[in-house]
Amino acid sequence: MSDEEHHFESKGDAGASKTYPQQAGTIRKNGYIVIKNRPCKVVEVSTSKTGKHGHAKCHFVGIDIFNGKKLEDIVPSSHNCDVPHVSRTDYQLIDISEDGFVSLLMDNGDTKDDLRLPTDDNLLGQIKDAFGEGKDLVLSVMSAMGEEQICALKDIGPKN
Amino acid sequence: MQGPGSNGLAQLQATMHAVELACTSIQMHINPAAAEATLLSLRSTPQPYQACQFILENSQVPIARFQAAAAIRDAAIREWGFLIADDKRSLISFCLCFVMQHASSPEGYVLAKVSSVAAQLMKRGWLDFTAVEKEAFFNQVNQAILGIHGIDVQFIGVNFLESLVSEFSPSTSSAMGLPREFHEQCWRSLEIDFLKTFYTWARNAAISVTNRIIESNSEVPEVKVCNAALRLMLQILNWDFRYNSNSTKSSINVFSAVARHDTDSPRGSECTLVQPGPAWRDVLISSGHIGWLLSLYAALRQKFSCEGYWIDCPIAVSARKLILQFCSLTGTIFLSDNGKMHEHHLLQLLSGMIDWIDPPDTVSKSIECGKSESEMLDGCRALLAIANVTTPFVFDQLLKSIRPFGALTLLSTLMCEVIKALMMSNTEEETWSWVARDILLDTWTALLVPFDSSGGKSMLPPEGVNAAGNLFALIVESELKAVSSALTDDDDDDYLHTSISAMDERLSSYALIARGAIHVAIPLLTRLFSERFVRLDQGRGVIYPTEILEEVYSLLLIAGHVVADEGEGETPLVPYAIQTYFADNIEADKHPVIVLSSSIIRFAEKSLDAELRALVFSPRLMEAVVWFLARWSHTYLMHPEEIKEGNSAHDQDHQLRLLQTRKGLLNFFGEGIQGRLVLDIIVRISITTLMSYPGEKNLQALTCYRLLHALVQHKHICVHLFSLDSWRNLAHAFANEKSLLLLNTAHQRSLAQTLVHSASGLMNSDASNLCIRDLVGHMVTCLGELSGKDDFKIVAQQPDIILMVSCMLERLRGAASASEPRTQKAIYELGLSVMNPVLVLLEVYKHESAVVYLLLKFVVAWVNGQIAFLEAGETAVVVDFCMRLLQLYSSHNIGKISLSLSSSLLSEAKTEKYKDLRALLQLLSSLCSKDLIDFSSDSIETQGTDISQVVYFGLHIVTPLISLDLLKYPKLCHDFFSLLSHLLEVYPDTVAQLNSEAFAHILGTLDFGLHHQDTEVVDMCLRALKALASYHYNETGSGRTGLGLHASGIMDPGGNFQEGILSRFLHSLLQLLLFEDYSPDLVSSAADALLPLILCEQGLYQRLGKELLERQTNPTLKSRLANALESLTSTNQLSSTLDRINYQRFRKNLIWYRRF
Repeated sequence: MSDEEHHFESKGDAGASKTYPQQAGTIRKNGYIVIKNRPCKVVEVSTSKTGKHGHAKCHFVGIDIFNGKKLEDIVPSSHNCDVPHVSRTDYQLIDISEDGFVSLLMDNGDTKDDLRLPTDDNLLGQIKDAFGEGKDLVLSVMSAMGEEQICALKDIGPKN
Repeated sequence: MQGPGSNGLAQLQATMHAVELACTSIQMHINPAAAEATLLSLRSTPQPYQACQFILENSQVPIARFQAAAAIRDAAIREWGFLIADDKRSLISFCLCFVMQHASSPEGYVLAKVSSVAAQLMKRGWLDFTAVEKEAFFNQVNQAILGIHGIDVQFIGVNFLESLVSEFSPSTSSAMGLPREFHEQCWRSLEIDFLKTFYTWARNAAISVTNRIIESNSEVPEVKVCNAALRLMLQILNWDFRYNSNSTKSSINVFSAVARHDTDSPRGSECTLVQPGPAWRDVLISSGHIGWLLSLYAALRQKFSCEGYWIDCPIAVSARKLILQFCSLTGTIFLSDNGKMHEHHLLQLLSGMIDWIDPPDTVSKSIECGKSESEMLDGCRALLAIANVTTPFVFDQLLKSIRPFGALTLLSTLMCEVIKALMMSNTEEETWSWVARDILLDTWTALLVPFDSSGGKSMLPPEGVNAAGNLFALIVESELKAVSSALTDDDDDDYLHTSISAMDERLSSYALIARGAIHVAIPLLTRLFSERFVRLDQGRGVIYPTEILEEVYSLLLIAGHVVADEGEGETPLVPYAIQTYFADNIEADKHPVIVLSSSIIRFAEKSLDAELRALVFSPRLMEAVVWFLARWSHTYLMHPEEIKEGNSAHDQDHQLRLLQTRKGLLNFFGEGIQGRLVLDIIVRISITTLMSYPGEKNLQALTCYRLLHALVQHKHICVHLFSLDSWRNLAHAFANEKSLLLLNTAHQRSLAQTLVHSASGLMNSDASNLCIRDLVGHMVTCLGELSGKDDFKIVAQQPDIILMVSCMLERLRGAASASEPRTQKAIYELGLSVMNPVLVLLEVYKHESAVVYLLLKFVVAWVNGQIAFLEAGETAVVVDFCMRLLQLYSSHNIGKISLSLSSSLLSEAKTEKYKDLRALLQLLSSLCSKDLIDFSSDSIETQGTDISQVVYFGLHIVTPLISLDLLKYPKLCHDFFSLLSHLLEVYPDTVAQLNSEAFAHILGTLDFGLHHQDTEVVDMCLRALKALASYHYNETGSGRTGLGLHASGIMDPGGNFQEGILSRFLHSLLQLLLFEDYSPDLVSSAADALLPLILCEQGLYQRLGKELLERQTNPTLKSRLANALESLTSTNQLSSTLDRINYQRFRKNLIWYRRF
């Protein structure tokens, strides 16, 4: 049921679709999958049979790429699963505000100001320090199914 | 040790109270930490003997006495070197006297502890004590065992010997912090001088109490002694006899040659052989005490109804175990009289224990009615033990003199009963019948496994053949029944998965039995198959045939095991039984094996029909079909005819007939029409499983890895593959059909590999290369088109594109890994044409670690397959490509921090990084190998490519990516250090030219490696160090600069003098050798590294030595240290050159130095 609803939703989206159907048997560990309408990274796949002479089914264990929650699903391996379109974009960091929101430079010269850094104090401190020292930082923003999150940080050397 | 004065007494009592308090509070769980601290301090006090003895003698708390004994042990082992001889002796005799005096004490565990302490101390001093001193101790023990001081003391005496023997036996000895040689000397000494005596004492003690036991009707205290003596005897027979038997190895007679070493039979490890050698003959065989043992057990059996005795009472168990041990007796202890003596011995044992298992039906019934099964199981084990030391023929004959049938018949009926019981019970718990079945199967295996390829095969006597035939029929029946009954309790597939490997082992035992009666087994299987095939035909669409499917499934597995062997990488021969038994069957198409195989293949062919496939061929059944075809074709399909002319000239006629039937059998499915037909069927079935069973990963894995992979391993099969339409269809579908893109990507890789392999079977190499271009063309085009798209960056992250790219990369990797000299050209071109797309992909998918990994693995496989063949120009291209790849990868990943919230995603990311880096290191190692193996026509230097510089440069790029955390992955760490040490060993000159930053980095890593836990890593670092230092020494010796500034030390920008690297390493290596705990395996390589370092930095070494001496305050230690340091460098005519002899001398010096 939920699968079908979800399909409609993704078709209804204007432009690029958020998910793609893919045969369950072809989804491998480290790939992506939609479980319970959440985009997940597959950390474990196992196959078993329905009954002795039945068909194979795949058992997926996924981790939500945004909130880190563990989700599981079982799908007959010849059926299709939804695979999320996960994209990552690099932005240069321009500013960090007091409350952890960042200002990022987009390709067209505008800024993107709606994302905040992870709440881990230690990491936040590190980033702020590095930024304060004048290092050039590039943030990777991961987006899938209408959600966005900063997922990685790269130091491309001191500002010249 | 004098008696304590009044002051001392008070102190002793205080200690005792403290220990008692600690012991009770541990028991009551009151403040356990403090209590443990008290006990620990008792153990670590110097010279605690007086206090401990006081506690042992006076304390009312048994645990306190136990702890005191433990403390004596710890302290004495620790301080043994400092104790004077009198103290050593008095400690042992104190312990011995203590146990003798308190022999009747109810706290057995205290006595056992004290007696084991005595045994350990005795062993510790074993090499110091004179024969007279030992004699004195053992006299005391012997007196006890003789029973002069009563039953309890007798028991204690036997018990002490038990601890002593277990201390001296290498597998059960406790650690003493002494070298292995010590334990071996003790082991040897005890075996030669004492073991037999102990055995005689134990035997005499047991015999002396036997009458009392037999006469009385209830349990008597003597039982305890007898049991202990039996245990001791068993333990002595378990001894790993070394020194008595090897002297007679040369005079192996026919009979003892039969005794298989347990490595030969796959499951014989459970049954160890007892080979004490001829010296034991008088004690064990001629003394007639086996008769005594058997009659003792027979008497005990009578008493099982009496009070205090039952079938599992300790003494009965010990007696049975000892009887079992006698069954395993073999080797030179028996006279070389053609086995007469051994046979007699076995017959005696067999007739003593035959009642345990015969008549089988009665035995089995009474167990079902609640009798304990242990006696019956021991009977089975005895059969197994006897089977391990005899041939089937002798085994069968043994029973003939006391029963109207042979032992094989007994074995068969016994196992039939067990299987019947198994069929009745049908539970999932391990019942007695499970255990019995496994033991009896082992027995069959022991009898039937051909133990020696050159010697005669173990053929069954005629009566045994019938027995095996009956048994096999019953086994098949029971398997089929088990199948249909298992269906009722529906899907518990976990259980199925776990039991599959156990089943495989069982099936191979069944196959051995079937081959023992092959003329019955093959027709039986044929009949069973055809019955089921007929039923399947009739019941089509009417009944749901799950039960039949499952039966066919099991039959396929059984038939596969019976007809063919596993091969394990070699081409398996037709099983010997099949070759010989059907020697009279010259007409090929009536050969039972051919009839069976043909009917199965015809059945399998039906899976090509879509309608039948849907009805009958479930994925699981198909797995069995594919498995069978793979195993069968490995042995029979187009077998390379290489029949050697008989090297055994006798029995020419028989040999000839044998050859002919074998030829008939193999030719039938040979390279003629029939063979090609079957090959075609197999290929078409494979296509079906790959295309018509979507998502059935297991089935497809079997098809790819077992069936197809096995086919292309045979060159002569490859030759035929491309002449088949079906194979060309497969190749075409692979390149063009969407449905094969839906296979698991790993399977696609395997398929690409298989297809490319098969292309090398084509007649000429041009055709092969052309064929490969056709096969791989689509991958190149696909990747080229994708990466050339203008909007590729935008669409690249769509899942469908990612899937497509992954498939292509996996296929490329498969094709690259199938590279062979003949097809190398085509594969090289393949790689060349995707170089640019690959770099584009690496850029675009920099965040998509799964794709990056596939990409790196492809490059690794490709470079690894190609590098040795490349010409200079090509090498330059490849090297350039690799460097661009490395730089690109590095620029994406250096300084990157993952900010994921989830710890498991973070650790996944780390694992991915690890795998990437490992692939990169493999890439560098492959490049490195160009300097060692090179098949190209010209030297690579003509193009100015210096492999060493390339690899250093690569390492320079990769090293910053490897963090200390990543080095915790053992494989990565290992790869990294082996590459590093290889580089330093082979190209020290290139290191010398590195700039100081790169150089410092490498050395930092070396320093890290030197302190690593893994000895192999340390060893590699030491080798690298040796290479560096000796390079420098040799270079400077001949007037060149060597490592130059790196060695002499430089001023850093801050104006501080930085020590040269060689002095730094001399420092840290000496530190390691002197003050740290390191494995003795490292001594040699440490010596090899230390010598050139010392030679390079003589001055520093002297200074360090002096500092070391000055820091040492204890004068005796100081002089010892001075001596040691002195002799390290000046003994053994050590000179200041770096040749092999000098290295060896220095190694010896260092080994000696360690003893200080």
